[in-house]
Amino acid sequence: MGAAHKIEINPLLDKNFLNAFVDGVVKTLSLMAGTDVKPLGPKIETKFESRGEVAGMVGMVAGNMKGTLTISYTQNSIFKILENMLGEKYTELTPDVTDAVGEMTNQIYGTAKTTLNQMGYQFEMAIPTVIQGKFYISQYHSGTTLVIPFQITGTENIFFVEVTVQV
Amino acid sequence: MFKPDTKFLVVDDFATMRKIIKKVLMELGYSQIEEADDGKPGLAAMQAAAQSGKPFGFVISDWNMPGMTGIEFLKAAKADPNLRSTPFMLVTAESEQKNIIEAAQAGVSDYVVKPFNAQTLRAKLERVYAKHHPAKAA
Repeated sequence: MGAAHKIEINPLLDKNFLNAFVDGVVKTLSLMAGTDVKPLGPKIETKFESRGEVAGMVGMVAGNMKGTLTISYTQNSIFKILENMLGEKYTELTPDVTDAVGEMTNQIYGTAKTTLNQMGYQFEMAIPTVIQGKFYISQYHSGTTLVIPFQITGTENIFFVEVTVQV
Repeated sequence: MFKPDTKFLVVDDFATMRKIIKKVLMELGYSQIEEADDGKPGLAAMQAAAQSGKPFGFVISDWNMPGMTGIEFLKAAKADPNLRSTPFMLVTAESEQKNIIEAAQAGVSDYVVKPFNAQTLRAKLERVYAKHHPAKAA
């Protein structure tokens, strides 16, 4: 007789898990930037792919589950959000822009984390990292990635929320 | 409500949050706004302002900062007889109960959870004013 085996289900298949991130993005951008966004069709990918030109990334750890939340923006999408948020126009990826990407990642993760923890997960707060350009996450290649594209209402600007999980 | 000439100190390690809070305060009619990027320089700014006879009338500080955290900054301000009566509001992404209780026990005037909008910040300012000026607010 072996020890009791815990059945592990990939949380990316849980609709409420996905909604926690969607709600975190919609709420954060609406309140902090007065920007309405709508989620487009989510999809699951077996390989992480970087998108956009600047991304905020934060490690997510809850028990034996490890993952990464990445929010990637095209230049136009982040410039539009920052214009709405700060009332200033941006045309380059300056330190101000990367600072804002880090802060928004922090707030989106914080909002989603609160919802997820109310659902029974035990995610900890973590420090976001901001990355520019194309990148590859080698340590998560065996994980699964949930990709949720968002469109800024009234524009063609798109950004991506990607949650990579290993259980 | 706090008078338009109230001196505000905004403390946050993220420049974006300082800009957002400053923008909201300016929209609410306040123009005397100073900034610090951590609790330690924030405390020093409070002490210097008090010594110069022009103390801050309101402090808004982030909780999560790499040097002196918001709760440490709050406790240090409350331990200084010259600073302890200054209204002090904490801003944080953490909405867990344990943080709210610790902040309340340390004497925080109010607490705002990120993300928030201008209306929420205004309502918090009004609540803090009522708390610090019970006779005028009644």
